[in-house]
Amino acid sequence: MDSQWLAAFKGKFTGNIVNSNDQFRELIEAYAIGSLDAPERAQLEAHLASGCDDCEKALQEARWLVSQLAYLAPNAEPSDMLKGRLLQTVRAEAAGSAARRQVVGGAGIPSWLWAGVAALLLFSLYSAWIAHKMHDEVAYLQQQAKIEQAERERLEAELGAAKTQAHEAMIWSDPKSKKIMLRPKDPKMPDLEAMWHPDMGLVVRGWKVPSPGEKRMLQLWLIPKAGGKPMPSMTLWPDANGKFSAMVENPPDTMSDTQALAITEEPIGGSPQPTSAPMWVGGVS
Amino acid sequence: MFLAVFSPKGSGEVSPDATLMQQLLRRDVGAFEELYERHSRIVYSLVLRILRQGSTAEEVVQDVFLQLWRNSAQYDLSRPFVPWLLTLARNRALDQLRLKSERQRRREEQTEQFPQIASAAPEYEQALDEKRRAERVRLLIGSLPIAQKKAIELAYFEGLSHSEIAASLKEPLGTVKSWIRSGLLRLKESLRATS
Ligand SMILES: [Zn+2]
Repeated sequence: MDSQWLAAFKGKFTGNIVNSNDQFRELIEAYAIGSLDAPERAQLEAHLASGCDDCEKALQEARWLVSQLAYLAPNAEPSDMLKGRLLQTVRAEAAGSAARRQVVGGAGIPSWLWAGVAALLLFSLYSAWIAHKMHDEVAYLQQQAKIEQAERERLEAELGAAKTQAHEAMIWSDPKSKKIMLRPKDPKMPDLEAMWHPDMGLVVRGWKVPSPGEKRMLQLWLIPKAGGKPMPSMTLWPDANGKFSAMVENPPDTMSDTQALAITEEPIGGSPQPTSAPMWVGGVS
Repeated sequence: MFLAVFSPKGSGEVSPDATLMQQLLRRDVGAFEELYERHSRIVYSLVLRILRQGSTAEEVVQDVFLQLWRNSAQYDLSRPFVPWLLTLARNRALDQLRLKSERQRRREEQTEQFPQIASAAPEYEQALDEKRRAERVRLLIGSLPIAQKKAIELAYFEGLSHSEIAASLKEPLGTVKSWIRSGLLRLKESLRATS
């Protein structure tokens, strides 16, 4: 064995040295590709189960080798719809598991953190409907809203900031949108405004909002009715003038299931659950 | 001797795929999307070659990637990712192809939920990037006699056994056995060659 080892080390052998006492060694490649007929397969499996190291190691390399045959397949490209479907499923499961972690795990939000929400709601129950003419592009954008998230993100990038602004403007002005005032916990902070359209999404705007701390950003939460845990939503970043306008096209809950909107300060990238007390809260329904 | 042939990647070196798989454990959708971007083409190409039907192939690819997402904790991060993913995809596609057949039952006996795959890649895996390795595989298998190439394809893409291949190609069983083995050994030589 030593001489074999040295020889292999020097690269003179190919890694498939056949031990003359081991007739099983020549079944390994066929076993890895899955083409052994039942009797030979059973014999080899019994031999492997007996703990033959040489065969086991050879099998590992053969499995790797067999996997490379995939490159014989002609190149083909899956549809964008497949990616969209997958991402939609995965996003939904990620949101679901975040919510479950909050319920199940001990790392949920301390109840005291959200106790203040109810009190703040008393000050913020203000909503209004604004009448306005439907824009020509509403139909187009509603159709967009049905396309999977991934496809939408790609299109949006192409459509550019102008289209996003147009979409936000439409939500802002559509008569079906509901206005939600978000009142600050700190009276020195400005009020924020949100507009929620049942089909087109939710826009949140702020002016003269101080920058969050270093490596921090603002994050929106949807607080469900019936004592549910806050659902994470978009992250927000005021510009140099303290202004921001941001849109969620498909809020995870419907308006009627949502009690309130809240905004907290979170680490860059956002959090699956709030890690600080809400800075703004606004009642929805 | 296998110490020489099989050496885990340099200690502490983690592949980008292993890093992304780790992020999946934290339910990181972005990491999932990146894994999909990196590997969906080869996975789909393989599954389509086996099933020859686009919509069924997409269903299987969807299952494969959802399995990654849902069972990422079961993936051993030290194992070579792409070969493992390709093995998983092939198993799923062959299962689909051979639903309820004898072959299916036979395969199930040796198929766990996640496939068996080398615990480390052979060190020569790193000598070639994926694209050049793919070219090398195509070149070598393409250079084999047509019947030998066909035997390997029937085994890999159709999941046929030696005796089924022998019957299909009307060749002696012993010939089929040696074709498959020698073809794979030649492929190994080709991938080991550094230039
Ligand atoms: Zn052995």
